[in-house]
Amino acid sequence: MARSIKKGPFIEKKLYKRIQESNKTGQKQMIKTYSRCSTIIPEMVGFTISVYNGKTWIPVFVTENLVGHKLGEFSPTRIFRGHTASDKKAGR
Amino acid sequence: MARIAGVDLPNKAVKIALTYIYGIGRVSAVEICKKTNIDPDVRINTLSADDVAVLRKVIEDEYKVEGRLRTEVALNIKRLMDIGCYRGLRHRKGLPVRGQRTKTNARTRKGKKKTVAGKKK
Repeated sequence: MARSIKKGPFIEKKLYKRIQESNKTGQKQMIKTYSRCSTIIPEMVGFTISVYNGKTWIPVFVTENLVGHKLGEFSPTRIFRGHTASDKKAGR
Repeated sequence: MARIAGVDLPNKAVKIALTYIYGIGRVSAVEICKKTNIDPDVRINTLSADDVAVLRKVIEDEYKVEGRLRTEVALNIKRLMDIGCYRGLRHRKGLPVRGQRTKTNARTRKGKKKTVAGKKK
């Protein structure tokens, strides 16, 4: 079920505060965050936000197209490197 | 035989025949009948040319069907792929997009089974 409109989009408070502050001062430095579930809001456009994927921070440059998605969608948590060759083959 | 939105409609009840158009299902087919005051159970071949024209007008004006709908869907998918989000990546790889399991099944997205030689039993 979709989130109630009454509540508005979810953004972690700390992240929201930092964005408001840097928007006021006008400098857009990198923001590191663990909050993958925060929605990208129009105020974030132009920021580069480093989103944690469980191992490293992946820099996400926020453009207008990304608004409405969640931060975590742009920081993949799994890397598929292909299947290993079968044991039989390797043994020969 | 009536031709609406580039599709030849079969000689069936109007509410069924309209669903042969991409973008119109059972619900919108009945809706269209109500708007045009056409009996949904009457067969397509018994409709007069005027009735068909009215149907065509309503569908063209109020519904997104066939080519236009297909391009819209394709554009939506393309947008997801371009912004590099998770759903876009899944579309690119041709894997299920909505978190389904892929250890088994998922054949609709992955296509016909590809047998891997030498795989352990």
